[in-house]
Amino acid sequence: MTFRMPRRQFLMGTSALAAAGAFGLRPAFAQDEALRLIWWGGQARADRTLAVADAYAASTGTTPPEGEFLSWNDYWPKLATQVAGGTAPDVLQMDYRFIVEYATRNAIAPMDDYLGGVLNLDDFDEDQLEGGKVDGKLYGLSLGANSVAMLVNTTAFEEAGVAVPDRDWTYDTMREIGEAFKAANIRGGMTGMSDGSGSEPMLDNWIRQRGKPLYTAEGKLGPNVDDMVEWFTMWNEFRDAGYINSAEDQALDTGAAEVSMVALNKAAMIPSNSNQLVIHQSINPDTLTITSYPRIAAGVGGGHYRKPSQFWSISGASQNKEAAAAFLSYFVNDVEAGKVLGVERGIPCSAAVRDAVAPTLSEQDQIALNFVANLGDLLGPLPASPPNAAGEIDTSLLRVLSQEVGFGGRSAEDAGKFFVDEATAILNRAS
Amino acid sequence: MAVNAAEAAVPDAASGNSIWSRAWQNHAPGYLFLLPWFIGFFGLTVGPIITSFYLSFTDFDLLTPAEWVGVDNYVRMFTNDRSFAASMRVTFFFVIFSVPLKLAFALGVAVLLNRGMKGLPLYRALFYLPSLLGASVAIAILWRQIFARDGLVNDVLSIFGIVGPSWISNPNYSLWTLIILSIWQFGSPMIIFLAGLRQIPQDMYEAASLDGAGKWRQFVKITLPLLTPVVFFNAIIQTIEAFKSFTPAFIISGGTGAPINSTLFYTLYLYNEAFSFFRMGYASALAWFLLLLIACFTAFSFLTSKYWVHYDD
Repeated sequence: MTFRMPRRQFLMGTSALAAAGAFGLRPAFAQDEALRLIWWGGQARADRTLAVADAYAASTGTTPPEGEFLSWNDYWPKLATQVAGGTAPDVLQMDYRFIVEYATRNAIAPMDDYLGGVLNLDDFDEDQLEGGKVDGKLYGLSLGANSVAMLVNTTAFEEAGVAVPDRDWTYDTMREIGEAFKAANIRGGMTGMSDGSGSEPMLDNWIRQRGKPLYTAEGKLGPNVDDMVEWFTMWNEFRDAGYINSAEDQALDTGAAEVSMVALNKAAMIPSNSNQLVIHQSINPDTLTITSYPRIAAGVGGGHYRKPSQFWSISGASQNKEAAAAFLSYFVNDVEAGKVLGVERGIPCSAAVRDAVAPTLSEQDQIALNFVANLGDLLGPLPASPPNAAGEIDTSLLRVLSQEVGFGGRSAEDAGKFFVDEATAILNRAS
Repeated sequence: MAVNAAEAAVPDAASGNSIWSRAWQNHAPGYLFLLPWFIGFFGLTVGPIITSFYLSFTDFDLLTPAEWVGVDNYVRMFTNDRSFAASMRVTFFFVIFSVPLKLAFALGVAVLLNRGMKGLPLYRALFYLPSLLGASVAIAILWRQIFARDGLVNDVLSIFGIVGPSWISNPNYSLWTLIILSIWQFGSPMIIFLAGLRQIPQDMYEAASLDGAGKWRQFVKITLPLLTPVVFFNAIIQTIEAFKSFTPAFIISGGTGAPINSTLFYTLYLYNEAFSFFRMGYASALAWFLLLLIACFTAFSFLTSKYWVHYDD
């Protein structure tokens, strides 16, 4: 985490804060006060973001925006606390999962008033613009398009003598790959793929190919008991055959890139996202690439979608909304800014920026860009944003159930029924 | 100092000044010096405690104002919350096994160290070190490494031809890994035991050995009974610590209580409710229930203590 501020300003700021705090007041920030930004992500993202902030300040002659960044897990508690305390930064990074929640509670402000004014989005992808809207108003500015993608360790595939799957591969291909990795027995029993039964994006992709959403536009659960039983049964079969990691190995993956099955050398593929190729490559000595999630049967399309990887939103309590909007306009439209940012947050949503950036990208970034730009028949419609309790269903239901089934504590039939019952109860409670 | 002030105040009562104003004059500097602590105590401790009690009767998601729901949160806890029940089981299991084992281990090491061996201060410091590092993030990460499938523990086991499991990712062992971590941090009760052992008069042992009592008999008949006040103190402190245990489980399971909720400590569940699912009201209710639980345990310990704790009077 960094916090950049000139020292004098820091002293003035803190003493003003202390004084205001003593009287129970919120500090009133002057108009020329630097913008404050907050986002989740690693050091690479921070360096790029702050470089653009400095460039913006240099080109406009204003005070450079101040930035603060945290990991995903630490970010949401901090942001929610700041919003509750009325001290949220002017510009904050927002996720598809939370945008409805924040927008409906006025924690973030609509940007429509600045459109055509300081905020120029003429060149912006229409579908990415739609993704940032709540009730028809623009609450989030997509910072890049993204898609789920299978992360592949190509070096391991070469060692095992198996061809890296192309975009036509299916769950049946997975059986062949699993069998081949078993036979090759490389790196102490590396499997073809990790256990995806507890991966919400993978379930989402699988159920979408069957023509159902994971969550309907009304915030109801899409899959029924039969779907879920089939889901768990399929992964049981893979696990029993040794095509995927054992439950004991899989449980080592607690979410961070450093402990993924690919990072731990236990699987040659894991379900991931297109923009995460960069971070995974940075911690893996082997050559990595990405491909699509498997199809449920040959020729079945859909499943994937171009998701706004993250948004910039303007805090509802910001005193500098117009200045914030002007900064965001620069952030997504300026070609030089685009070159600095690359595709670290996803594929740029402005066509002009995309064209300017493409030739400057590293090999890994080009792979990600090409993948998202050419999804072809795998590209389906953007689903409705997930309901409030989706996070809880993911972490405390799907993941726990997949482990219970994996360790043999629950049958696939049992787990399928339990998932639907419990997820429905959670959704009802949250609405 | 308090005694002196009281003595000074009594004669002055006759000379017209009230006891209270004299006492105030005497104590004023003291209170003045304590003022920063008072501000911190009331502002940062008492204030939030009262607020959380209020919030425990509300539905509060941090983004919108709290909404009064009466005792709904408490009712839900006991009637409709599987995770609450799971976290209670995990926490009780942890308390029941980690506290006695840790105390036994601490006492054992303290008795060994009490024999006046060479380099005693060094050993004391070494054994105390894990406690100093405490429940830190670094230690939890280190523990994760040591107990991984290809970690140190399994390397040692493999010397004896045993193929160990992946301790932290197998639900049958993961909680035991955390119990072992807790036992390893036996330093602070050990130091207190050591101090207690030093208080036992040597001539009692001499008399006992003249009467033909062996080492074990001396330990059971002299050391343990005379040490009971220290055991009592350590037991209460460690029980409270165990109930509040959070960091190791948070780090080792990535904050999820995985695998299969086998390390879902009560405080971890509380944290997730508050900061992952933004249910501050419910989390406050959980926190108050934990307080009540610890209070009951402590009261129970005090009530039973008169049957087994022997004070030297």
